[in-house]
Amino acid sequence: MNFELSEEQKMIQQSVERFVQENYDLTNRVKISSEDPGYSQEYWTAMAELGWLGLAFSEEEGGFGGNQIDTLVLMEQFGKGLVLEPFLANIVLGGGAIKRGGSPAIKESVLPNLIEGNLQVTLAYAEEQSRFDIEDVATAAREDGSNFIINGKKSMVLNAESADKIVVVTRTSGSQVDEDGISLFLVDATSKGIERENFPTVDGLRASEITFTDVEVPSGNLIGEKDRGFSILQAVVNDAILALSAEAVGAMEVLYKDTVEYTQQREQFDHPLSDFQVLQHRMVDMFMEYEQCKSLLLRATMETVQDPILAQRTVHALKHLIGKSGIFVGESAVQLHGGMGVTEELRIGHFFKRLLVIDSQFGNSDFHLDKFTSL
Amino acid sequence: MDINLSNEDLEFRDEVRSFFEENKIKQGEDYFAWREGWFKKAREKGGWDVPKWPAKFGGPGWTPTQHYIWEQETAQVNLPFDLPFGLGMLAPILMNYGSEEQQERFLPDIRDRKVNWCQGYSEPGAGSDLANLKTKAVLSEDGTYYTVNGSKIWTTLAHMADWIFCLTRTDDSGIKQQGITFLLFPMKQEGIEVKPIITLGGSHTVNTVHFTDVKVPVENRIGEEGKGWTYAKGLLEHERTGLAGLSKSLVELEQLKDKASTVQRGNGNLMDDASYKSKIGELEIDLLATEFTELRSLASAASGGEPGPESSILKLKGTEIKQRIQKLTVEASGIYASAWGDKGVGPSFAKGGTAGYLNSRYFTIYGGASEVQKDIVAKKVLGLTTGKSK
Repeated sequence: MNFELSEEQKMIQQSVERFVQENYDLTNRVKISSEDPGYSQEYWTAMAELGWLGLAFSEEEGGFGGNQIDTLVLMEQFGKGLVLEPFLANIVLGGGAIKRGGSPAIKESVLPNLIEGNLQVTLAYAEEQSRFDIEDVATAAREDGSNFIINGKKSMVLNAESADKIVVVTRTSGSQVDEDGISLFLVDATSKGIERENFPTVDGLRASEITFTDVEVPSGNLIGEKDRGFSILQAVVNDAILALSAEAVGAMEVLYKDTVEYTQQREQFDHPLSDFQVLQHRMVDMFMEYEQCKSLLLRATMETVQDPILAQRTVHALKHLIGKSGIFVGESAVQLHGGMGVTEELRIGHFFKRLLVIDSQFGNSDFHLDKFTSL
Repeated sequence: MDINLSNEDLEFRDEVRSFFEENKIKQGEDYFAWREGWFKKAREKGGWDVPKWPAKFGGPGWTPTQHYIWEQETAQVNLPFDLPFGLGMLAPILMNYGSEEQQERFLPDIRDRKVNWCQGYSEPGAGSDLANLKTKAVLSEDGTYYTVNGSKIWTTLAHMADWIFCLTRTDDSGIKQQGITFLLFPMKQEGIEVKPIITLGGSHTVNTVHFTDVKVPVENRIGEEGKGWTYAKGLLEHERTGLAGLSKSLVELEQLKDKASTVQRGNGNLMDDASYKSKIGELEIDLLATEFTELRSLASAASGGEPGPESSILKLKGTEIKQRIQKLTVEASGIYASAWGDKGVGPSFAKGGTAGYLNSRYFTIYGGASEVQKDIVAKKVLGLTTGKSK
């Protein structure tokens, strides 16, 4: 048992940290976020060149043979700058699904391009009625000769605006909430019958509602077996939870440290705010929640690397704690910054918004508590 | 990063398990005879009777992972009872600050569980603000003994103790942390009066202790006169970063779930009750996180570093978790939560449940109240000052 990163991982950690420090001050982030496509193409290319996009893919897939721990290292540092580049959508979601279920031909045509930053893929899984239940899939795929015809609507699809390809979760048999009968397909984002309605999210990222009307996809584009897509989806969602939780831990670190610093500078009633015990204890609580989240993040990630099925319960535990504690740390940071906390001028508000969004993605705190206690 | 136990660690775990299995108490066996034999055999294993002692003093010299395994395994079984005062509290002070002669004089009896110790720290006017203590020790003119006068309070098991390790004031001219002297003396002697304090749970565990002209020879002083605070403080920090009893809490939580699932609610049981189940779930999640916080802290200690900032939260989280288990036990008892005394009514676990809960309130008070712990984290970890006007 050990908690040390490898020498390689430490080097990557330092280089991501430096990248975030040099490129992700608040002004720059706001500027990148407000212009199309909502992230920096230059940074995305740089990330590909530095090899970050390929860390969690095997060598045969064109990657470096890493795992969820490498993704953790990246995402925790990304969280410290609220990095906008679509790593989660492309690498963890789209790439994660293809890595697990793509045919050799699909892997070969997609993954190397994805890793080099030349192609973008996202995952469309949620629907309006599904809320957080990933098995609740109404979007239908009907077999038609050597093709499937997809009809339905997908919601909150991350980075769909920039995606060249979309992994879409469909129902091929069973009732709307059955785990069996779910199938994943890789479709071109420009296919006839696909309509994207793009919009910004609370945290300055981008998402889309996507309507599929008689979209034709060849059966060779199945990701995994027909009707057996749920286990792939579950594994990809678990990876996304780990990645987002790592980002949240990075964001929480910034929030508690910024708050400690601010309260030492700001004077009221002839004292620095940090002199007041009631504020000190609130900051100790923020620090403790951060550390506890970090502990559970390490636990869930290490357990997933070891055995993803056995780790399921810990992954639920993690997302519960991240949601609850992330919002606590965010709200506390805003409260302790007083009036300044509710302005767009300070970065803490932006970090808080990101933590709010993270709680709403892939199941919120209550959802995962319920899952945790049911397992 | 790797969550696996090494082969050596797995072998160690098996060895611990089979030792516990082989040395279980047998039906009809005399408890105290079994206890004595158990420690003897544990000693023959190479210091397993004093797991936390360093190898230099006869301990097993385990790695942090081995300590963790030991804690996990001991949580699953009933070991012979042990008290922490001599073994875990005084012994490290003797090892670090005592003279060789004192070590030879006191450590063997502590190890053999022959002498019961109690801790004379808190006073009526010195609780979490421990350094404020006033019990006076005056050195005789010939320099051979101290005369001790004053009072201690919350002294756990003072009524059963043979000896006390005691903080006394020998000088009050400087700041309050200076002039404190660490003395050891027998409890059964003229001039010492022990009075029980009955706590909310109805039990007698703690006491007040009054000293009237108690004579203590200078050779019973640890280290130098006036430096006692340094010695005691080292121990308090040791206590704070020590294991938080989480493995035991995990076992107790599993037992609680079993109990709750025997309580009928409509067509199901209490574990189907949404709000009860949520509280159990949140508690378990906090435990899973805290357990890893402890492992991270052990790992940083193993790599030779100071305990990381994460270790400072273990006492805070660990005690709060224990209290929540007690609280949920009372909730599971339903109407029987109000029954008092030895005559059990309702489900078997309801008996003593409320008393256990009430007694658990002291977990966040003793050894420095949680609020004091937070002051320490604020100062030591976050670097925040208190009350300094600019």
